[in-house]
Parts: sequence; C-alpha cells; structure tokens
Amino acid sequence: MSDELLIVRAQLGERAALAELVARWRVPVWTYVRRMLDAERADDVSQEIWLAVVRGLPRLREPERFAPWLFTIARRSITDRLRGQYAREQETLTPAGNTFTGDTFTEDQVEAMVDRAVLVEALARLPLPEREVLVLHYLEDLPVADCAHICQVPAGTIKSRLSRARRLLRTCLEEGDRS
Amino acid sequence: MNGDEEPRLSARELLERLEPSLRVRTRVRAVAALVAGLAGAVFVLGLWWSEPAPLPGRTRLAFGLLTAFCLAWACYGGWLVRRRVPLFATDRVIAAWIALAACASVTALIAFVAAQRGTVPVPALVVGALFVGAALVLVVRAHRRRAALLRRLRELGSEPQP
Repeated sequence: MSDELLIVRAQLGERAALAELVARWRVPVWTYVRRMLDAERADDVSQEIWLAVVRGLPRLREPERFAPWLFTIARRSITDRLRGQYAREQETLTPAGNTFTGDTFTEDQVEAMVDRAVLVEALARLPLPEREVLVLHYLEDLPVADCAHICQVPAGTIKSRLSRARRLLRTCLEEGDRS
Repeated sequence: MNGDEEPRLSARELLERLEPSLRVRTRVRAVAALVAGLAGAVFVLGLWWSEPAPLPGRTRLAFGLLTAFCLAWACYGGWLVRRRVPLFATDRVIAAWIALAACASVTALIAFVAAQRGTVPVPALVVGALFVGAALVLVVRAHRRRAALLRRLRELGSEPQP
C-alpha cells in the first residue's frame, strides 16, 4: 500500500492506517533524529515529532508529499532542541553559499571503503548542517529538492552542503584510518 | 551511535503514547467545549439584550461574568481543536453538524424567549444568524473535504474501511 493511500485513509480517521504509517516511518524518523541528537534525546524528540504529525495530519493538503512534510516537522523539533548549539555551529562554519568543486568522492566509494559502524561514527563528527543533508539525501533517500524544502534553503545550498559534507566525511574517515 | 542502534520505543509503545490525543473522548470534549462555550455566550448575550428594561448593576455584572466564562470555555475549546486534538475528516463533518445544531437551537431559543417577553432582540438574532451561517460554511467545507478524500481514495484503488 502506498504512503499516499495510507495518509488519505488516516485523514479520513482510519486508525489502522495511522498505525501502519507510524510503523512504516518510525525507524526512518528516529534514524534522522538520532544522527542529529544523542540517544537520550532522540527518543523524546521522536515522540514529540509523532505527536506533531498526528495533530497536523488532518491539515496536510498534499498527501503525496508526506516525506518532506514529515521531515520538516522532524527538523523543526530537532532545531528547537538544538537552537543554541545549532546557531553556534553555523557561526563557526563557512557560509553555506560557498561551492566546492573537483569533489568526486561518492557515497558508493564510502560504502566500499568502510563498514557501517565506522561510517556512522564519522558522520556523528560532522557539523550539524552537513550531517543533516547527508542523512536526508543518502540515508533517507530524499531528492535534493525535498532536502531544500525541509531545510528551507535553496537547492544550490543543499548541493554545496552535500559536497562539503562528503569532503569532510572523507577527511574524517582518512584520519580514522591513519589513527 | 553505532550503526545497529534502534529506537527504544516499539511501534506499539509509540502508538500508546499518542493514544491520549487520539481518544474519541478527547475530541468530543474539545468540540463540546468550543460549541457549548460559543452557544452559551450567544445565549447569555441574547437574554441580556432582550431585557425590556435597564438592568441593575449587579445583574449586568452577573451577565457580563457569565458571558466571559462562556467565552473562556470557547477559547479553550478552540485552542484544543486547533492545536491539541486532531480532527480527521469524518470528525470534522460530525463537529460541523453539532455546531450547526447548537447555533440554530440557541438562535431559536433566543427568538422564543424574546417573543415571550414581547421584544425583538435584533442584535442577538443577527449574531445568531451569523453563527448559523458560519456553522453552515463549516458543514459545507467539512463535507467537501471528506468527499475529496473519498474520491482520492477511489482513484488510488481502495475502498474506505467501515
């Protein structure tokens, strides 16, 4: 059953459809939150996100765009928790509009080089904005346009963040190999 | 975190935590607070305006306090419906009909009381008619929304569950 069908049924008030929706998206949402927060807060924030999703679901006008809507809510909840820390991170980093060229390091190469645990550990060491786009684009499999919608920045900024994130991830992994 | 980490809450536990927001009782309470608060405020104001003679200070104060009390409940109900309690398409249809019935009843009651007293409470009846009109708009919108969802459901090749 497609997400859209589940959402339409849930919007009509069908509890089983809502339960199925929660079961289907529980882990992807938690994974996104966990990449951005520690384990203790990840469970709390995931619960907050689902509460906001349930409350907002009747007003969702485009059921086919459920994933971007869901991750927008998730991002808002995470940002609320991290507001101070997030602001500091952004101040200390290069402005997001910068572009990076000549970067040919791809996710496939990363996966070929390292096992999942090492990759996740390296991911946790990235700055939040870069970590976020990597998670949304590669782990949650969202297109650049949806990532831009969720992060409320232009698509070009997402591309440059992805480029920078891949570069930083490569540096982290290379440092890990050396140590 | 390591790559094999999983959420501590299972899907069932998560749904149990969402349950308070989804209970029928919670939704009924929210709609009841909104409708009863608004209907009560309109009724008290209607009675007040339909008084044939000027009222003593204490009676006016009592009417004012009662109106404020009803409006406070209406605001609380409105906040619940808007922010705290999800009203799905079918719930909205039911809620809109409850609102229409309440508005029509209160307006009719005001007209009846006024007729008994031999007065014509024009402002109260105008306000009552406005509320009935607003409730009618809600009924139409709720039905349209539900019909659109049912249509989409059929397009997607599924039948609504009972």
